[in-house]
Amino acid sequence: MLGDIITPDLFASAFRMATPLALAAIGGTICERSGVVNIALEGIMLTGAFFGTAAVLATGNPWIGVLAAMAAGVAIASVHAFASINLRSDQVVSGTAINLLALGVTGFLMEFWYGHPGTTDPIAVLRPIFSFTSPGGGFFAEIWRWFNGIVLSHTPIVYITIIIAVLAQWALYRTRWGLRLRALGEHPRAVDTVGVNVYRGRWIAVLMSGALAGLAGANLTIEQVGSFTENMTNGRGFIALAANIFGRWTPAGSYLASLLFGFADALQIKLQVFRDVITVPPQFFLMLPYVLTVIVLAGVIGRAIAPAAVGQPYKKG
Amino acid sequence: MSEAREAIPVQRPWMPVLQKIGVPVISAALAIAIGSIIVWISGYDAAAAFSALFKGAFGGPKQIGDTILRATPLIFTGLAVGYGFRAGLFNIGAEGQLFMGGLAAASLGVFLVGQPWFLVVPVLVVASALAGAAWAFVPALLKARIGAHEVITTMMFTYIGRYIVSWLVVGPLKDEGMIPQTVALAPEAQLPRIQSLFSADTLDALPFLALGRAHMGIVIAIVVAVVVWLILKYTTLGYENRAVGFNPYASETAGISVQWTTVKALCISGALAGLAGSVEVMGVHHRIFDQFSSGFGFTGIAVALLAKNHPLGVIPAALLFGALSAGAGTMQLEASVPQKIILIIQALVIFFVAAEEIVLWFVRRRQKEAMSHAG
Repeated sequence: MLGDIITPDLFASAFRMATPLALAAIGGTICERSGVVNIALEGIMLTGAFFGTAAVLATGNPWIGVLAAMAAGVAIASVHAFASINLRSDQVVSGTAINLLALGVTGFLMEFWYGHPGTTDPIAVLRPIFSFTSPGGGFFAEIWRWFNGIVLSHTPIVYITIIIAVLAQWALYRTRWGLRLRALGEHPRAVDTVGVNVYRGRWIAVLMSGALAGLAGANLTIEQVGSFTENMTNGRGFIALAANIFGRWTPAGSYLASLLFGFADALQIKLQVFRDVITVPPQFFLMLPYVLTVIVLAGVIGRAIAPAAVGQPYKKG
Repeated sequence: MSEAREAIPVQRPWMPVLQKIGVPVISAALAIAIGSIIVWISGYDAAAAFSALFKGAFGGPKQIGDTILRATPLIFTGLAVGYGFRAGLFNIGAEGQLFMGGLAAASLGVFLVGQPWFLVVPVLVVASALAGAAWAFVPALLKARIGAHEVITTMMFTYIGRYIVSWLVVGPLKDEGMIPQTVALAPEAQLPRIQSLFSADTLDALPFLALGRAHMGIVIAIVVAVVVWLILKYTTLGYENRAVGFNPYASETAGISVQWTTVKALCISGALAGLAGSVEVMGVHHRIFDQFSSGFGFTGIAVALLAKNHPLGVIPAALLFGALSAGAGTMQLEASVPQKIILIIQALVIFFVAAEEIVLWFVRRRQKEAMSHAG
């Protein structure tokens, strides 16, 4: 039975499940590194998921959907940016408002445009980039089967996410932009003193997190599910925040932490298939990612140090 | 010197009170106005929508009863979130604690069949408060001991709690029949409807007492709100709670244990949210099922913020959101405006209250600056 559970597909599924979490988590990393808490990731992801779906329904082109999802993410993130940077509202409260707003706007437009609550019609999805057939039997064919399954079976955004993680890691630690971004979250007054515009730096960071969380929504609807359902993000934005913390506010760490959560998710889906063998109610499997998030937070937080100025509004002197 | 003295703003004792009430009232009015504009832009008949909303919320005693019915759990969740905010904690997971409170009342109530109501009702209410507190305990401990952010942990516990309930209502606690729900509570474990307290003659004479589905939970809610207000204002517990929320470092220096206060605050917040579950189970559904709460825990955030975390302010704030939710159904039926507009209005209320805070802070700072120049 173990052979039935541990298959190439399990690991491939871990990468798929990790993708929306990782995109949102990297967005969270960039945002929090600039000093702005972003608990709105959940709502931004939901907004991206909805407008991505709506654009595909309107045009039939999934790539336009991806762009629409990112644009919608940026648009709703700009509300968070304006409230928490310019108005200096409490960033957690502003994020909560965004999450509610996203739930309301997507639900309202769902009924307004499609005439019913719940789930949209199925949409054209992005297919896996490669499709190789497995050669016959033998040892090498088996290795090929694993390689093909884990590495080559994915849809575009799964690969794009890995590229983004690497790029963001490089940019954060090897470019002037990254240095400034990190300084913004540690000591904005110092950054301001040397002539960098704190507001602009934070705005860019929040908008980038909006684009990334929007892309995460696109991955959910345009690659994974193939339709939009109200409140379909189901806490992923909060798990992504935990992944960002577990990854110690680094893009690469965020990706790896997301992979852990993604694996837990893949495993629980896989185990549900063996319902007859493992007589545990399905709700306990569904709980797994949330329980794991709490355990991870409990285990790691003492040693992970948040950016010093995160959550503190900055007032120009 | 004499010139500087003139810089002191004229003291108007009623100004703070007006500011306190004015900001929430303006925030709510603005949010409803923008909500109406959205409805209008979307091509609906905004006037018809508005009058349907009003009719559904206040059109008659039965509709007012519906508003009270929905405001009842919101008073508890608003108190819960507000109490947490007063200690600087954001209990975003009131929904999960509400589920556990409801679960405690629904499951324990079945075992107390045949006991007198004055025994059963208090036991169930206290049990649901304890269950809510228990559900907040782990996040509280993680926050106090290692600083794990309560926003993430209480949210995760909300999902976990909801899955536990959805397992129990299809599994161990399932009633006979097709519907996944628990066994109904016996009459002595139910909170009676307000109109059932009066005779038919009285209701004929005083028709405004025929409050439909509104139940005695509203009385418990108001009493608890007053108690929470007294605790915050007059007890050491409340003082420490406020002190830690205001400045944890100064509190620690003054000898208040920030860790212990944090644990107490989040658990009391959880207990209050648990009570919301008990009134929904004992007063409305008389059992628990998967969807027994329509997000009261999350609406509680908007209630608390609109009330500026004041326990007595929570009552009118909850009534406002109760009215919106009671009227939304009629609005959808008569003007076919999607009910989800209510969520948008809630979000806008939160925005405006949060942003207005800044405006007021500014005003106070200006006043302080003027004062310090004067000094």
